Amino acid sequence: MSQTHLSPIAARPSLSLAAGEKLVHSLPDSIPEDSATAIKGSEDAARAQKTGRFSWLELDITRTEWDILIGSTCLKLLLFPAYRSTDFEVHRNWLAITHSLPISKWYYDTTSEWTLDYPPFFAYFEKLLSIPAYFVDPRIVDLNNLNYNAWSVVAYQRTTVILTELVLGAAVLRFVRGAENPAMQRIISASLFLHPGFLIVDHIHFQYNGFMFGILMWSLLMARNDRKLLSGFLFAVLLNFKHIYLYLAPAYFIYLLRSYCLSPTYTLLPGRFLSLANAVILTFLASLGPFLLMGQLPQLLSRLFPFTRGLNHAYWAPNFWALVTALDRILLKVVSRGQLEGLSINESGVASTSRGLVGDTVFAVLPTVQPIHTLAITVAFQVIYTGKLWTNTSYKSFVTALTLCGFTSYMFGWHVHEKAILLVLVPLSLLAAEDNAYFRTFEIASIAGIYSLFPLLFTPAETLIKIVYSVVWALFVLRPIHRQVYQFPRTVTFVVIDFLERIYIMGFPLLQVFVTLFPLLARRRAAASAGVAEHTDREETRASPLEFLPLMLTSVYCAVGLVWAFIRLSVIYLTRKD
Amino acid sequence: MDEFTEGSYSSQAQSRSLRRTSFMSQSSAQTVPATWPQRVTTPVLRHRLSAASVRSDASETDRSEIVAPVPRRHHILQTESRHWLGTPPLSPYSPPVSPFSATATSPARSRKRISQTLSLNNLSGHDPRRASSAAHPPSLHPYKEHKSEDDRSMARRWLRWMHQENLKAWIVPSLVLASIWVKWAVGLGSYSGQGTPPMYGDYEAQRHWMELTIHLPTRRWYTYDLQYWGLDYPPLTAYVSWLCGIVGSWIDPSWFALDKSRGIESPGSKVFMRGTVLFFDTLVYVPALVMFVRVWQGTRSSRTQNLALVLLLLQPALILIDSGHFQYNSVMLGFTLLAMNFFATGQDLLGAICFTLSLGFKQMALYYAPAIGTYLLAKCVYLGPREGSKLFIRLGIVTVTSFLILFLPFLPPFAPLSAVLDPITRIFPFNRGLFEDKVANFWCATNVVLKWKLWAAQGALIKLSTALTAFGFLPAVMTLLYSGYKLRIEPVTQEAKTTPQPPKQTPILPLLPYALLTSSLSFFLFSFQVHEKTILVPLLPMTLLLSGSSPGELTFELGMLMNNLAVFSMWPLLKRDGLGVQYIALLVLWNRLLGYNPFRTTKRSLIQLASLAVYTACFAFHLAELLISPPARLPDIFPVLNVLISTPVFVLVWLWSIKRGIEVSWALGGLGSRSKATQKPASGSIVAKPSVEVSADGEAHNSSESVLPRASGMRTVSLGFAQGRRRKMSSRSGSVDIR
Repeated sequence: MSQTHLSPIAARPSLSLAAGEKLVHSLPDSIPEDSATAIKGSEDAARAQKTGRFSWLELDITRTEWDILIGSTCLKLLLFPAYRSTDFEVHRNWLAITHSLPISKWYYDTTSEWTLDYPPFFAYFEKLLSIPAYFVDPRIVDLNNLNYNAWSVVAYQRTTVILTELVLGAAVLRFVRGAENPAMQRIISASLFLHPGFLIVDHIHFQYNGFMFGILMWSLLMARNDRKLLSGFLFAVLLNFKHIYLYLAPAYFIYLLRSYCLSPTYTLLPGRFLSLANAVILTFLASLGPFLLMGQLPQLLSRLFPFTRGLNHAYWAPNFWALVTALDRILLKVVSRGQLEGLSINESGVASTSRGLVGDTVFAVLPTVQPIHTLAITVAFQVIYTGKLWTNTSYKSFVTALTLCGFTSYMFGWHVHEKAILLVLVPLSLLAAEDNAYFRTFEIASIAGIYSLFPLLFTPAETLIKIVYSVVWALFVLRPIHRQVYQFPRTVTFVVIDFLERIYIMGFPLLQVFVTLFPLLARRRAAASAGVAEHTDREETRASPLEFLPLMLTSVYCAVGLVWAFIRLSVIYLTRKD
Repeated sequence: MDEFTEGSYSSQAQSRSLRRTSFMSQSSAQTVPATWPQRVTTPVLRHRLSAASVRSDASETDRSEIVAPVPRRHHILQTESRHWLGTPPLSPYSPPVSPFSATATSPARSRKRISQTLSLNNLSGHDPRRASSAAHPPSLHPYKEHKSEDDRSMARRWLRWMHQENLKAWIVPSLVLASIWVKWAVGLGSYSGQGTPPMYGDYEAQRHWMELTIHLPTRRWYTYDLQYWGLDYPPLTAYVSWLCGIVGSWIDPSWFALDKSRGIESPGSKVFMRGTVLFFDTLVYVPALVMFVRVWQGTRSSRTQNLALVLLLLQPALILIDSGHFQYNSVMLGFTLLAMNFFATGQDLLGAICFTLSLGFKQMALYYAPAIGTYLLAKCVYLGPREGSKLFIRLGIVTVTSFLILFLPFLPPFAPLSAVLDPITRIFPFNRGLFEDKVANFWCATNVVLKWKLWAAQGALIKLSTALTAFGFLPAVMTLLYSGYKLRIEPVTQEAKTTPQPPKQTPILPLLPYALLTSSLSFFLFSFQVHEKTILVPLLPMTLLLSGSSPGELTFELGMLMNNLAVFSMWPLLKRDGLGVQYIALLVLWNRLLGYNPFRTTKRSLIQLASLAVYTACFAFHLAELLISPPARLPDIFPVLNVLISTPVFVLVWLWSIKRGIEVSWALGGLGSRSKATQKPASGSIVAKPSVEVSADGEAHNSSESVLPRASGMRTVSLGFAQGRRRKMSSRSGSVDIR
C-alpha cells in the first residue's frame, strides 16, 4: 500500500482521541462520521446519523456479515447429529441440577458423576436455559434421566450453543466497526467467529466456549475503545462463568491498575480505583453471595479447584510437559538398553508412561514434576510479561501480554487440557495482521493448536469434517493476511528459520496421513497375527503401546510448533519497543 | 491486424490509460479535487502515458508500459477497478452466450453498448460513479460493499472476495472441498430405514447388494432371496456394489458377511457406506459438473462459470437424497451429464458410451432416453444422408457393444441365454401398481378426484400411462428432429475435399437440455411406478438451465421454484428419514447463496407472484403439519396436500419446457414456412442470428456471416469479443463459401 501500514489492532486514532478527551465513563461515538460513510453507502450514512448513547446496541450488519452468519449457522445445523462427548451429558445434567434442585444443593448433588464444577454465573446461566428446556421436553431436566440422548435434547442443547455464540459474533462485529484497518479486522473477526476450534469444541464436542469467549471479546473491545471500567467488569463476569480465565487475570490486573487506576505519574486515582474495585467486588458478590450466605464457599471452591489430577491429561496437551514426557520416554528406551549407566529407572514411572497417559504421570528417568513447580514456572514467566506490560500499557501491548499469560499457563500449567489452546488462539488472532512476525506466530500457533484439537474427535465420521473445515478456514484466513503482511526475511538466520517453519507446516499433511493409516494397518496386522497365534494374549499387550503412537506423535509434533510459537511471541513482545 | 482493428485497440488502450489516471488521482488522496479534468496532463500522469502517445503507437510493449507504473496490487484491492474496466452495462453477467439463453439479449447489441461506453469515456472521461468514489480516500474502503442489484447473491459476493484476495486459483478447489464437507455433514445424520427392522430401507438395500455380490456367483445375483431387497438395478450398480463390498470387507469382513450382516448398523460400516457415496459422487458427478460449466458455458466469464458451479455443486435435493437418504443417484446423473458434455464437444460416441453407462447404472436414466436418442438421431439427420448414416452406424455399434459388455456375465458363453432375463425382469417391474407412495405426479394428484384404480383395470391404466408419457415427450422429440431436418447440411456436390471434417458442433445442441427436461418430466408426471426421489432426474436439466440464467429471468425464477419445490415434494420422505434439520439448513443455505428470496422482490412479475403463492402454501403446510395432527378420517392428508402443492409446479415446468423447446427451435431457424432456410438466410435469420451465434459455445453458425459484415466481425474480435467466433469463422469459411 502506498500509505503507511495501518495497525489493525488499535482503534482508529480519531476514536481513541475522542474518547480520551472526554471522561472515560462517557460513551464513545460509535463510528466516526467520515470513515463510516466512506465505508458504506448512503444507506449507511443515514444509519450513522443515529449515533446516540446506545448506538452500539443497534443492529448494524452488512450483507456480507449476514452471509457469514446465515451460512455458518446452516453448516452448524448440519452438525446436530455429530458426535457428542460426555460434556454433552455434563451440561444436560447441569440443566437438570439447576432446574430441579434448590440453589443450596447445586454444589452438593452427586446423582450423576458429572457434578457441577463451574462458577455460579454458569450455574445461573444453566438455570436460565433449563426453563425453556422444560417446555421443549420435561425429560431433559429430569435429574435421574441420565445419559438422555433423545433428539429433543440434542436439538435443544445444540441450538443453545449456536444462539449463545451470537455474543461472540456481536463482539467481533463491533471490532470491525471503528477498527483502523477494517479490511483486515473483518477477516480476523470472521476467522474468530468461524474458528475451527469453536466448531470442534463447541458444535461437535459440545461446550459453550463461543459464548464465554464472546464475553472476553466484549471485554477486550471495551479496552480498545478505552472504556476500561466496563472492560474490567466484563472480565470479572467472565471469571464467574468459567474460572479457567484466571490464567488471563494477571494481565488484566496489571493493565487496569496501571492504565486506569494510576495516573501516568504513578499516583493513585482513588475515584477510578474505587469504582473498579466496587464493580469487581459487586460482581463476585452477585455470583458467590448466595453461597457465602449459606456457608458453602469451601464446598464450592473444592468443586472448582480439584487438585487430584495428574500433570498430563489423558492425551498430552501439546505443551512443554508433553515434550518433557516424550523426552522421558526416549530416555527410558535408551536407559533400559543399558547405554546410559548413570541414570536409574523409577519403576512406577515405567508403568506410568507405557500404559500411562491417563491419571498421574510419573517420569521414569527424569525427576518428577510437582504442581508447585508448574506454578512457580508459570508465575515467573507471567511476572516477566506483566512487567513489560507495566511499562507499556498500550492496547496492543495489553493484548499481547494477555495472550502470553494464557500461553504461559498452557505451556507450563498442571493438568492442562488441549481445549485450553483456545485461550491462546483467540486473543492471538487479534494480533495476526500486525506484521509479518506476529502473523507467522499466529500461523504456526493456529495450525498446530487446531491440529492438536483433532484427537478430541476420535470418531471416524468426524475426521473429514474437522480436516476439511480447518483446511478451508486456513486457506481463507491465512492467505489474505499473508498476502498483506509478508516480508522476506532480511538475514540468513531468519531465512533459515522461515524455511524451517515452512517445512514444519508442510509436515502436518504427512502427520495426518500417518495418523489415519496407522490404526488401519495396525489392526490389519493385529488381525493377521491373531490368526497365526489365536490364544496368545502377549500379542495384544505388545500392540497396546503402539496404539497410542499416533496420539503421542500428534502431541509432540504440535508441542514443537506451539513451544516455538510461544518463544517467538515472547521474544517479539519483550524485544520490541512499541 | 488491419487498420481498423488497430484503431479500436488504441482507443481501448487509451481509455484504459485514462482510467488509470483517474484512479491515480484517487490514490493521491484529497490533494486533487474530484472533478479535475481528465485530459489535463499533470505530474501524476506520467509523460509516456499521455493519450497522444498511446494513440500513436499502440503496441504490445507500450501496453506493458501502461500497466507497469501502478502496482498491480492496488488494482486488485480496489473494487473500483471494475469501473476502471469501463464495463458497467456488462457486469456482472457476461452476455448470455450460452445454449441456454438463446433468446436473451443479443450479444451484438450489448457489445455495441460497451463500445459506446468506451468512446464516451474517451471523450468526457467523466463517470459519475468514479467521481463519487474519488471523493473519499480509497484506503478507507478497499472492501466496500456493493449495493447494486447484481450483487444480491452470497455466492457472487464470495467470488468477488476471492478475486480481491488473489485466491482465484483456489475457487474451484475450495468449492469442491466445501461441497464435500456439506455432503459429509449431511451424511452424519440418519439414513433411510435406520433402526427399523426387519426390512430397514434403501441404505440396507445398497449394503445388502454389496454383501450378496461379493459372496455369490454372478448368475445368482439377480435371483438370491428376492424378498429381502433383491437386486433390481442394472449390472453396473451390481459391479460397483461388488467393488465396494470387496474394499469394505478388506477393512472389516463383518460388515458384509453373507446373511449375518443384515441390518448391521455399526458406526464403522456407516462411515464406509457414506464414504462410498461421496467417493463415487466426487469421482463422477463433480468432474462432470466442472466440465459442464467449462464446456457449456465456455464463453462466459470464469466468475459466472464459478457461480454456476456453486449452484450446481450444492443443489440441495441431490445432496439430501444421496448423502442423507442414501442412494447413488449422482453416479447415474453424472454419467448423463458427461454424455451431454461430450455431445457438446462433438464426441458423440463417447457421449453414447456415457449414457449407456448411466442407463446401466440405474434404469431411471431411461427418462432421458427419448431426448438423448432423438438428439443423436437428429444429429444424423442434420449431417445429411452420407455423414449421418455413417454416424448412425457408428453410434449403433458403440451402444450395442457397451450394452453387451455391461451384460456380459449374463450372456453366452458365460451363461445360458435365458440368464439375461433375470436382470431384465428385475429391472423393469411391470407387475406393480400405477403408483405406490404419494408422489407429486399426475396420477397421484388426480387420484384425489378420480379414483383411478376403481375406474380402470391395471392393464388399461398401464397402457394409458404409457400413451400419456409418450404424448408428453413427443414435443421434445418432434422439435429436435424437425430442427435437425431443417438445419441439415445440404449434400455437397463437390466431394469430401472441401468439407473433409463434418462440423463438430450441431446447431440443435441448445435444444438438448429442454428436450431432456420435457422428456424426463413427462416420465415423472405420467409414467407408472414413480418414486418421489425420481424428481431428481428432471431436476438435473432444470438445474443446468438455471445455472445458465441470471436473476430476474423466467428460467431463473422457474428453476429456483422447481428446485425448492422438488425438495419440498420429498419432505414426507425426508421427515421419515429424520432429515428435517438438514432439509432446512440446505434450503436456506442454497437460496441464500443464490440470493433468491421470493418474499423480498419489489417489482413482481407473474411468475414471481405465482411462486409467492406456492411458497406461502408451503409454509402454511409446514406450519399446519407442526400444529395440527391429521384427523383420523384422513391420515394421509399432509402427503396429499404436499402432492397437490407440488404437482402444479412440475406441470408448469413441463409446459414451459415444451414452449421453450419450440421457441428455441424456431430461433434456430428450424420452424418456418420456408424449407430452404439454410440456403436463404434472409429476413428470418436476423431474428435467428443471436441465438445462432449462441449455439454450443458461442460459435457462429453459417447464417450469421451473411448478416454480419466481415469488418464488423473483425471489429468485435478486436474488442476482445468471441475469440471462439473468429475461430469458427476461419474453420467454417470453406463450407460457407460454397453456398
